[in-house]
Amino acid sequence: MARKEKFKRGAKGFSKVPTSSMADIAFLLLVFFMTTTIFRMEDGLPVELPKAAATKQFPREKLAHIWVDARGQISINDKLVDVRSIQSLILRRLQLNPALVVAFNADKKVSYKIMSDVMEELKQVNATKVSFNADYEPRR
Amino acid sequence: MKIRKKGKGEPEIPNASMSDVAFLLLIFFLVTTIFNVEKGLDIVLPNLGTSPKRIAKQNLCEIKIAASGRVTVDGVETAVRGLEDVIRRRLIENDKTICVIETHPASYYGIMVDVLDELKLAEATKITLRTGGGG
Repeated sequence: MARKEKFKRGAKGFSKVPTSSMADIAFLLLVFFMTTTIFRMEDGLPVELPKAAATKQFPREKLAHIWVDARGQISINDKLVDVRSIQSLILRRLQLNPALVVAFNADKKVSYKIMSDVMEELKQVNATKVSFNADYEPRR
Repeated sequence: MKIRKKGKGEPEIPNASMSDVAFLLLIFFLVTTIFNVEKGLDIVLPNLGTSPKRIAKQNLCEIKIAASGRVTVDGVETAVRGLEDVIRRRLIENDKTICVIETHPASYYGIMVDVLDELKLAEATKITLRTGGGG
């Protein structure tokens, strides 16, 4: 009987969930998410992308970007490049990843001649998968 | 006498709501973070090895963009917004239709993307880009 007495429910003293470390956990999560967030590496050029509704998303690791601004300047890897140097730059990326998709971040006001010249360069190195990046704007 | 300092009881900072504040910040950042999702219209360019093919005239749908930005489908002037229906109808009539977008070099790239978007909306799969005019 004396044994039974021991397991009697405690009358006084509530059981508590320790909440003092909760803030630490929350801050830890906060810091973790802040540090692991990867921001876009390339700044590129300021462009106003065309708008499109039928857009598709590509995995980031497959993409190589070419920026073309309204004045026709071309930028790859944050460097202004000449049309003729596109070939070697893209070829290097293509050798690392044969499934490469070249994404154009081109201003909608750029002359088609420049785009045509760039695409011609891409054809020369068989970089045939191309994406014209656009801002998604749903229709209707 | 009334404003005498209290002798007993240490001052405490209430830390019970600290976790609430931290979680609030966490949720705020989670919600407001915009991930850079890139979206685009994809197309496969012909490579060097591809020799030009002859396409039967009835399977061809020629969309021309003039330097002025006017868009014609097989010679008939069409509004860009109306292209989707035109192409969709063409594809129902003949599912072997190959769409050729011929853009004048002096035209804007944005117009070509608008046209390409319409073709994609119309679920056209065979699309070729061509540079027209003096190009």
